Amino acid sequence: MIELEHVVKNFRLNKNDSAIHAVNDVSLKIDDGEIFGIIGFSGAGKSTLVRCINLLERPDSGSVKIDGVEMTELKPRELYKARTKIGMIFQQFNLMPSRTVFQNVAYPLKGMTKDEIKKKVRELLALVEIGDKENAYPSELSGGQKQRVAIARALANDPTILLCDEATSALDPQTTGSILQLLKDLNKKLGLTMVVITHEMEVVKNICRKAAVMDAGKIIESGDVFTIFSDPKHPVTRNFVRTTSNLSKIEILIKDNSPMVKLKPGELMARLVYIHADVSEPLISYASREFDIEINIILADVEIVAGAMVGGTVVIFNGPRERINKAIEYYQSKDIRVEVIQDAGA
Amino acid sequence: MPELNVLLPNLMKRLPEFWKACGDTLLMEAWSGAIIFVFGLVFGIILTVTKPGGIMENKPIYQILDKIINLFRSIPFIILLTALMPLSRWIMGTAIYVRGVIVPLVFGATPFFSRQVESALAQTDKGLVEAALSMGSSPFEVIFRVYLRESLAPIIRAITITIISLLGLTAMAGAVGAGGLGDFAIRYGHDRNMIDITWVVVSVLVIGVSVVQWLGEYFARKNTH
Repeated sequence: MIELEHVVKNFRLNKNDSAIHAVNDVSLKIDDGEIFGIIGFSGAGKSTLVRCINLLERPDSGSVKIDGVEMTELKPRELYKARTKIGMIFQQFNLMPSRTVFQNVAYPLKGMTKDEIKKKVRELLALVEIGDKENAYPSELSGGQKQRVAIARALANDPTILLCDEATSALDPQTTGSILQLLKDLNKKLGLTMVVITHEMEVVKNICRKAAVMDAGKIIESGDVFTIFSDPKHPVTRNFVRTTSNLSKIEILIKDNSPMVKLKPGELMARLVYIHADVSEPLISYASREFDIEINIILADVEIVAGAMVGGTVVIFNGPRERINKAIEYYQSKDIRVEVIQDAGA
Repeated sequence: MPELNVLLPNLMKRLPEFWKACGDTLLMEAWSGAIIFVFGLVFGIILTVTKPGGIMENKPIYQILDKIINLFRSIPFIILLTALMPLSRWIMGTAIYVRGVIVPLVFGATPFFSRQVESALAQTDKGLVEAALSMGSSPFEVIFRVYLRESLAPIIRAITITIISLLGLTAMAGAVGAGGLGDFAIRYGHDRNMIDITWVVVSVLVIGVSVVQWLGEYFARKNTH
């Protein structure tokens, strides 16, 4: 278990400059075997925060406990030893260019015979499905292959924790998918606790069950991924969700005066957002039949987040106003958030 | 060979002295080079790891070493040669000939080589250092297994440049009685206007520089992947 309490890390460019609060009073608890996402725009302090876990950055104050051991109080030798049990992978992979794949993965292995090292490295390379490249140099590998080697290297000393610092941000979407799948598999197979730092919503949606949103050195929202993304509370989180949702296109259509969104008198345009995980009823057709109104779907965007549906639709209601209002009440009773975008009047 | 006697009359009359000059230059290079290599490497590493943001950040050590290196780099070598004579007499027992010039050569070229090493090590990707630390490497391990190993090629290039500039310094040292090719060229080629000797010495130096450069490039490339 990883426990951060009131962690603060400031940077000062010059002695007399005011401090930049890279991490500002962050408390977090990450359970064993969990894949925990930390998401935020660049400069939010995510990378500094994750480095406070293995003390690559020493916090100015606060406590960092791993399995009950206070990391900030360890002596240097003990810290080096503790770090072997916390793997880390990076955006730029950080493989040693003068060493082959085999030598890179063997780098952290110590106190073993040559044969033991050979066996261990081959096991690791097989685990990340790149066994055929052991004699290649990093410069001969693609981005995805490099990250697989980096993962093998990070797992060399059988860590219980894997820190992923923007591990897929330098990869194309397809490769990102395969690396995320690999991380998911490793989490299941080895019971690894993972901390995933990213600015990509897709990554968090894909592999995390719990996440925290970070902005200006603080955690502004945290909880299970579904709740964060279906019902964001903080403006920054909303902004994040919006940038990845198709539903935000409606604002552009309205701005461009598109004929698609021109309302006739009596019509009402609204965004219907699903907040709960159990949307399986035919909500549109039911309301249309039940209240005898027309519901025209302009945009729809539904995604699977943490195994449940998140998203919504933008619709235009057409019909007598009191019946439209009844339909809206019906939706609200089903825990669907209704945001009126435009109203052409009764 | 009679043709050589016609072409290089003065040199052929002084062949034994010429070979000895070649040998003296090599001796100066080898002795001072070996000492400069050790000190320069150590200083270059210390500069790299103690500088702000380095893995063993230490302001006083960095500042002091940095200033000393700047000081010695700004003193012209010809002044260093004479200024260090007492020190040379004290350490080596003499201030002339090959033995007497090792001390000024070391003082003259170590700061240069230290800076070369520093800039070679600075080319190491910070991410590699971070990755090594995250895997539990100690700072000393990072020095030997990351910094030195990963910047082998630029370090070889730094050695090449230093050997070549040291060759220039040994020629200058000849002027104060160190012997060697520089001294040989000045005494005969310049002072007695024996053009053929000047030409031969220059050619030998050109060949020497080319060989060093070629070897350096060869090994640097062999260590680049």
